[in-house]
Amino acid sequence: MKDYDLIVVGAGAGGSTAAMTAAEAGMKVLVLERSRYPAEKNVGGFALSSKAWRDFPFMDGLELPSMRVGRRCIAHFLSPPPEMEERFSIASGPSRRMGYPEARDFFTVTMLRREFEGFLAEKARAAGAEQRFATLVDGLVRESGNVAGVRLEGGEEYRAPVVIGADGVMSATARLAGLREKWRPDEVISACAVDYSASRERLDDVVHEASFQAYFGPGMGGNYLMCYADGVHIGGPGVTNSLISRLSRTRIKPARELLDTIAAPPTQRLLRAVDAVPREFQVHCVPWMDHMCTNIYTGGLMLVGDAAGLPEPLWAEGVWQAMYSGRLAAQVALEAVDEGDTSTASLARYLERLQDSPVAQEFIDGASLRQLFEVLGDPQASEGLTELAVDLSVNMFMSAQEPKAECVARAVPILMENLPVLMRLLGIYLPMILEAGGELPPQFAALGGLAAMFGGPTEEEARP
Amino acid sequence: MSAKKKGGEVDRFQLTEVIPATRDFIALDAERCTGCGDCVVVCPMELWRLREGKAALARDYRKKCTECGSCYIACEAGAIDFAYPPGGTGVVYKYS
Repeated sequence: MKDYDLIVVGAGAGGSTAAMTAAEAGMKVLVLERSRYPAEKNVGGFALSSKAWRDFPFMDGLELPSMRVGRRCIAHFLSPPPEMEERFSIASGPSRRMGYPEARDFFTVTMLRREFEGFLAEKARAAGAEQRFATLVDGLVRESGNVAGVRLEGGEEYRAPVVIGADGVMSATARLAGLREKWRPDEVISACAVDYSASRERLDDVVHEASFQAYFGPGMGGNYLMCYADGVHIGGPGVTNSLISRLSRTRIKPARELLDTIAAPPTQRLLRAVDAVPREFQVHCVPWMDHMCTNIYTGGLMLVGDAAGLPEPLWAEGVWQAMYSGRLAAQVALEAVDEGDTSTASLARYLERLQDSPVAQEFIDGASLRQLFEVLGDPQASEGLTELAVDLSVNMFMSAQEPKAECVARAVPILMENLPVLMRLLGIYLPMILEAGGELPPQFAALGGLAAMFGGPTEEEARP
Repeated sequence: MSAKKKGGEVDRFQLTEVIPATRDFIALDAERCTGCGDCVVVCPMELWRLREGKAALARDYRKKCTECGSCYIACEAGAIDFAYPPGGTGVVYKYS
């Protein structure tokens, strides 16, 4: 006896997109969520990239009170503590060569997850999905080896031929199904954030559309600042530094580096300028994998989003991945239920399709990509790159301190001095280009050999 | 509280709301604990201490824990178990 066609555990971005997709196709869907409302447990600095508008027609014309469109990114390169002043920064709009119109228009839209995931949950409800909040799943029902339903804390059971586990990084369904006991310490980042209320008018004047900003510097691993319509969100430690295995090794407390970023003079000036007042301290873990997981399905069960380890290997963006995998899992559930076969073999098509999807593309050479923050945070490399940037741009074009000819003449020795750092960066990017199947001009291939000489990862080393 | 003060004065506990769980959701197996202290380092709310060479969780953790699960993942000895608190309880994020 089945009670539903599909049970979705978790009403975040992945769960609600799955529920919406399945309910719209006529399935009888139950969503179970442990929190009292969508996103009560989920943590932002949420900047959704233009991919979501490319891939989901319902995003057209979305308006939420907290939204701020990000048409500029700023990367700040800071001097080491205690000074932590701006040494070099890059502000940029989207590239005109991006492959689809939304990407040429904006990078991201920053918004509160509470509003966005509320919007997705409402769409799932409108499509006919039944939703129960403040409800914890603590067991799975099995029938001839396959998952065939869930058991709630308290003992109540509901049956369905397919269960979608959209229950986040600490996924209980993954554990109950025997797919994963827990992540390894080098697979998860533990990040902290402080969220501020701020003046909308001041943000419009001071930040405008530069809603995503990142901080780099010696020892820093890419801390970030995001601006909503009327709020600011600062997250850290940087991605690399907040790997749980790294924290254990360095003995750096995760909140420490975040508080250092906040105390940095440029951050303080911005917070003062927009009348920011802290309103929430947030903590969360995010899977940060250098490859796509494959143990994400079994008979009667599929994992989506963070539960499946899908955040990408650079900035750990995960909401678009959750939506994409949620929709895909719902489509597979629909087919499998129609065919009357929800066995492991039948649901294998979920992984196959995910591996052919743009979600998998994000993992191309993830192992190399993960080293980017290491290079940028390395004191010597960070110093070298900053000097290079300052001498080759600011000093050559803007400074009036020395005769221009002297600045220009200095460029060559500076380039030579920093060749090892440039080669390390090339060593990160080159394997990605090769793996993505890009055509390399012969000069570029020669540079790849040089990169190996200077200690950049070779093509073999860069692969997991 | 004002951002005009140094950022270091962000008070984590003042800025986090928790509905206390009605049962335990973190368990320590003292036999397995090696006293390595990884849980002490990774807990962003600083709820773990080392006492006589073993990890010890704050007595009032149900009122303060934000359910990130960092301690559970960091513990390679398998001494810490973590599950979600009961539905409708635990950390409440309003600005996520």
